[in-house]
Amino acid sequence: MEHLTNLSMSIEPLSPMTSVSAINDLFLEERFERLLSLPVVENGRPIGVISRSKMQRIMATRFGREINGNKPIHSFMNPVPLVIPISQSVEMACNYVTSNISYPITEDFILLKDDVYHGVGSVIDLLRSMETRLMGQNQSLVSMLSALKASQAQLVQSEKMASLGQMVAGVAHEINTPLGYVRNNFEISRDACTQMRGLIDAYDELLGMLQSGAADEQAMGTQFSLVQDQRETIDAMFSREEMDGLFGDTFYGIDQISEIVLNLKNFSRLDQAHVDQVDLNECINSALLIAKNVIKHKAEVVREFGDLPKIRCAPSQINQVVLNLVTNAAQAIETSGTIHIRTRAVGAFVYLVITDDGRGIAPENLKKIFDPFFTTKAIGEGTGLGLSIVIKIIKDHGGEIKVKSIPGTGTAFCISLPIAAIRPSNAIDAQENKGYLQ
Amino acid sequence: MSEERDQHLILRATHNATATQRPTLLFVDDEERILRSLKMMFAAHYRVLTTTSGLDALDILRREKVHVLVSDQRMPIMLGVDLLRQARAVSPNTLRLLLTGYSDMEAIIGSINDGEVFRYINKPWKADELRQTVEEASAIAVGLESMPAATPETIASGASRTILLIDHAPETASALSTLLADEFAGDLADKLQLVCARNLSEAVGLLETHEIAVVISEIHVGTEDVTPFLKTLKHYHPQIVTIVLTSFQDMRALTELINQGQIYRFLPKPVRRGVTARSIRSGINRHNEIRTTPQLVHHHRVPRPEKEIQPGLFSRMRGMMQRMAENGNAR
Repeated sequence: MEHLTNLSMSIEPLSPMTSVSAINDLFLEERFERLLSLPVVENGRPIGVISRSKMQRIMATRFGREINGNKPIHSFMNPVPLVIPISQSVEMACNYVTSNISYPITEDFILLKDDVYHGVGSVIDLLRSMETRLMGQNQSLVSMLSALKASQAQLVQSEKMASLGQMVAGVAHEINTPLGYVRNNFEISRDACTQMRGLIDAYDELLGMLQSGAADEQAMGTQFSLVQDQRETIDAMFSREEMDGLFGDTFYGIDQISEIVLNLKNFSRLDQAHVDQVDLNECINSALLIAKNVIKHKAEVVREFGDLPKIRCAPSQINQVVLNLVTNAAQAIETSGTIHIRTRAVGAFVYLVITDDGRGIAPENLKKIFDPFFTTKAIGEGTGLGLSIVIKIIKDHGGEIKVKSIPGTGTAFCISLPIAAIRPSNAIDAQENKGYLQ
Repeated sequence: MSEERDQHLILRATHNATATQRPTLLFVDDEERILRSLKMMFAAHYRVLTTTSGLDALDILRREKVHVLVSDQRMPIMLGVDLLRQARAVSPNTLRLLLTGYSDMEAIIGSINDGEVFRYINKPWKADELRQTVEEASAIAVGLESMPAATPETIASGASRTILLIDHAPETASALSTLLADEFAGDLADKLQLVCARNLSEAVGLLETHEIAVVISEIHVGTEDVTPFLKTLKHYHPQIVTIVLTSFQDMRALTELINQGQIYRFLPKPVRRGVTARSIRSGINRHNEIRTTPQLVHHHRVPRPEKEIQPGLFSRMRGMMQRMAENGNAR
């Protein structure tokens, strides 16, 4: 905390009876060189101030020194000097000085200590000291801002991780189901194979007996019924239809898993260019597959896709926008409903409208949904960043997002994206904000 | 030859007809391929019923005897945990298993508290393990067939009503003792006894000196993990009902506590009066049921824990279990 003490110059004050010419001489002395004015004090109380400019004016008039030289200063001084208690803060002093001083600046201010004259301060010094302080504050604001930016980045990251976690859990379920029967079918097949090997061995034995012609009838009979028994056991346990069905199911399951994995790759675009010419309809399909687990037990998805030109965008970001909106739509639906997804191209824009028939958004909340941290979910269930990230991505792409909602009826989000959503010059920006899900 | 074969088929058919005595399994999953696969795996030794619908499954349970019910968790219309809860009411002696690829905390807790689930199995499962678990469950269910259905929840007189609390936090002990005094004032307050252990060593000491009906335990006391202790306790003394009361929530730990600890209830902290009182009441009731009808104990049987608790504590526990068993025989 800076004090006015640092600005105080100990100047011996003038008495009100000091003569004009004496003061004029004082102003010429080296020790008062820096001063604009001199204080006039009576019994410790400042009663006025006489400025260098005023003195010059008196002396410059014709016969000024002759007429006024011997007169006491109190009839020429400014009787309302700027007076500041030394205990005051620099800010308060600055405030006081700037609102009371006359321009151009011709006077210094007087400092009081315990209501008694203490010294003189220069306005320029005061303003300079204020400037230093402001610069310090500015500095701390700058570092505060960068700290805020860092923690915002961290929050965006944790939102990303949260939605990623939810997605991973969903995808894990999607994969575990086919994996469950694929593995089991494989174990059944292995058992079947073991049994069939046993049967082949039994057949071989029988064949050996027949070829050698040495075996007796009883041994052959025993072997024959052994073969037959095994054969029947296998038929009963692994009927051909059942085995065919089992293999069909297994291939189906493997295809399902492949599709999910392929789709994950498409969704994240890890192995592809960050900015690309992309079919928005494909982004939607890819996001819908990822969100399948969230949606499938709650909502039917109706797709009304128009023919779209490819748009230049960061597909992983657009995927995230769609995933977020579709997940929100599914979460807005209590038990079962419909999510409509429409796309079309008009002029230089493509439009995407996602409509649900869920519980809707209360009018008082509608204005806030894009605000960071606004959420109606319970603490810990959502960061409240989802839609704020959505709007940022859309704006980065030069697009717009609009929302309409009727509580109890449903909500519609409409997104427009320019077909040249990301121009090469913006690509660097987009690169910096790297895909939220990457 | 073909006559012989026909003969054989007829024999097989009659064998199938008598095979109604084979235990019945009911699998419920919204993925038909899972059902087909499971059916094929179990058809040789069980009568296997399958359905994709929870409502259908309840109909089957009402209509006929089912020994083991194996259900998926995430299904449209009815969740697995809801099916388990209703199945428990419709057919209490059917052992209930969850077979699921993904589950949330809520579902697991529900499957313990409402579904009284016997085992919780993750997809993808290992055929041998599932086979063994189903075999175990069906053996228990067959043994329960001669049992009367569970009696309504009234507390028999003259039985042990000592509750052992294992928790290092003193506020849990005081919350519980106030709760016991208030909630059981009408019938049992003066007969219920609460003993508290702040660590496992104290817990074993109290188990040696008291006949415990219900253990209410935190999962972590101080630096000790109570899970292995609860598993060991359940293995050697399945009639002691265990209620876990904790602020710790971890899916894997919970699954273990079901499969190897057969915990009776899982209550998240802080102590909520209504649900805690209900759990204690039905826990004491369950303990008494098991004591009067010892076969019921199989319902809660768990395998011998793989990881033993600290050697010293373990041998003390085993010694204690032996003495308890001898006392039981002498009585």
